[in-house]
Amino acid sequence: MKTKLKFTLFASLITSTSVMAADKVTFQLDWLPGGDKAPVYVGIQQGFFEALDLDVSIASGRGSTDALTKMATGQSDIGSSDIGALMAARAQDDVPVVAVLPYFTQAPHAFFVLKSSGIKSIKDLKGKKIATSPFTSSNAFLPLVLKENGFSEEDIQLVKSDPGALAPMMITGNADAIIAWVTNTALFKNQASSVGKEVIEMPWSDSGLSLYSSSLLASEKFLTERPDVAKRFVKAYAKAIQFTYEFPDKAGADLHKMVPEVDAGIVSAQIKSITNLVFNDVTEKDGFGYFTPERIQKTWKYVAEANGLEDDALEPMMIVNNDFIPE
Amino acid sequence: MNQTYPFKFWCKQQVNRFAPGLFFIGLVLLWECICVFGKVPNYILPAPSSIITAFLNVEFSRWMTHLWATLRVALMGFFLSIIIAIPLSIGMMRSELMNRVLYPALIVIQSTPVVAVAPLIIVLLGTDDPSRVLITCLITFFPLVVSTTTGMLETPPEMIELSKSLRAPRYRETWQIRIPYAIPHIFSGLRVSITLAIIGAVVAEFVAAEEGLGYFIQFSTSFFKIPQAFAGLIFLSIISLLLFKSVQWVQMWLFPWSLPKKK
Repeated sequence: MKTKLKFTLFASLITSTSVMAADKVTFQLDWLPGGDKAPVYVGIQQGFFEALDLDVSIASGRGSTDALTKMATGQSDIGSSDIGALMAARAQDDVPVVAVLPYFTQAPHAFFVLKSSGIKSIKDLKGKKIATSPFTSSNAFLPLVLKENGFSEEDIQLVKSDPGALAPMMITGNADAIIAWVTNTALFKNQASSVGKEVIEMPWSDSGLSLYSSSLLASEKFLTERPDVAKRFVKAYAKAIQFTYEFPDKAGADLHKMVPEVDAGIVSAQIKSITNLVFNDVTEKDGFGYFTPERIQKTWKYVAEANGLEDDALEPMMIVNNDFIPE
Repeated sequence: MNQTYPFKFWCKQQVNRFAPGLFFIGLVLLWECICVFGKVPNYILPAPSSIITAFLNVEFSRWMTHLWATLRVALMGFFLSIIIAIPLSIGMMRSELMNRVLYPALIVIQSTPVVAVAPLIIVLLGTDDPSRVLITCLITFFPLVVSTTTGMLETPPEMIELSKSLRAPRYRETWQIRIPYAIPHIFSGLRVSITLAIIGAVVAEFVAAEEGLGYFIQFSTSFFKIPQAFAGLIFLSIISLLLFKSVQWVQMWLFPWSLPKKK
């Protein structure tokens, strides 16, 4: 009996100290695990979070607005989501979420065409059939990128289809071009090469649409109630981003360790193909991990126009909190 | 001449016995041939052989993790709907007022597409099991309420009159006359519900989950691993079929008298 009591006391002591030692943080992804979501997995596997006494758990999401809702309702503390979705949400409602760290400093939207189609630039898409998925944030920016190239949505035939069906539609000739994120480039190339075809990507960022995109967002409650935890998290996460893009193969292996269904090779190919969304001329000029007021203003201008919102519906710097930038 | 007759009879018997299996094998072979000779790429329709390869490529323990996640939610939702539906039906059968008040509400719940409500339930109840179980229960309980109520109302009126003339209390009328009469109806409702339970669990996993066969299928398509998604889908239908059969087995085991008589 005495030994049992001692054992119980000892066990409870261990559990209580471990609870005290690590601060629990729930990280919200805006989609299912994949190459662009690798940093948080890398942070866990490489021990970056553990080193700063953080116990991070990951929840998958089903789109930017889903991730935003989960952060706003307190089901998650911090997570990745499109800053454009946050701007649009904040312009219409008082959503208690702010952006703390930029991740993609260029927009990931792109057109994809087959090399054999003869389409060489966005201008060649006039009069063509273009497929997109119904709920992608790219749809809102489509009119803007077409306008930059001198035509409008009326000059193309736009069809909507399930994201999984887009690449097969292009490969089988059911669509001349498709709209997707450049995070899919590696997967599309893989699919097309299985039938001996070649895919070309035409990123919208090359034709004027230059803005912040996927960012690290956090609930205001988390930032005000546990600022110290938030600061440590952002620091470890920034380190994880750097590591992911420096060692894509290791990052692929880390993600595979936590999500065995994901192929490590595909993840590392995805990471390599999107490095320029994270590290590019914008980060060279402004530095990594910092939102500049000019670029935030520019992003808002695009978001407002794309969503049909008034320019003064939001003071865009209000949605940014630069206090958590890692030193 | 005499010898050929039993042989013919034997052949006919064997064909009857193996026909469903042979038909299925033939169908799979035809599918394989169309994919191989028609050079259909995997992302349009994967061949059965590549689905099997994809199935084997995923570790057995992973399959079990996903299977358990889906099965757990489906069964919890299914049993919750039994716990809700049967007392509700008894109440609605016994009280006209309750029937008038609840029936429209039940129809509203049933006619609301759960897929549309699911994200709201997740926001309200969180991303863990309770919300997924509720989503499953919302899909499964209606057929059970309808079939149980119909079954109890179809009790022959003379039996009810007899029980009344013997001054049997109402609970005995319900438990010893109405419920036994409703058993075949309840089980047909249960058979519909159990397949809906799997659909419910998958719908819930599509909205929020970190594991489960529905999540696995969605995940595989997001990586364009179509053969793997098909493997998940086929696994899911096999589970659904087995659950359907188990409801029949339970009926055969507990209430053999309630089964239709074989010709």
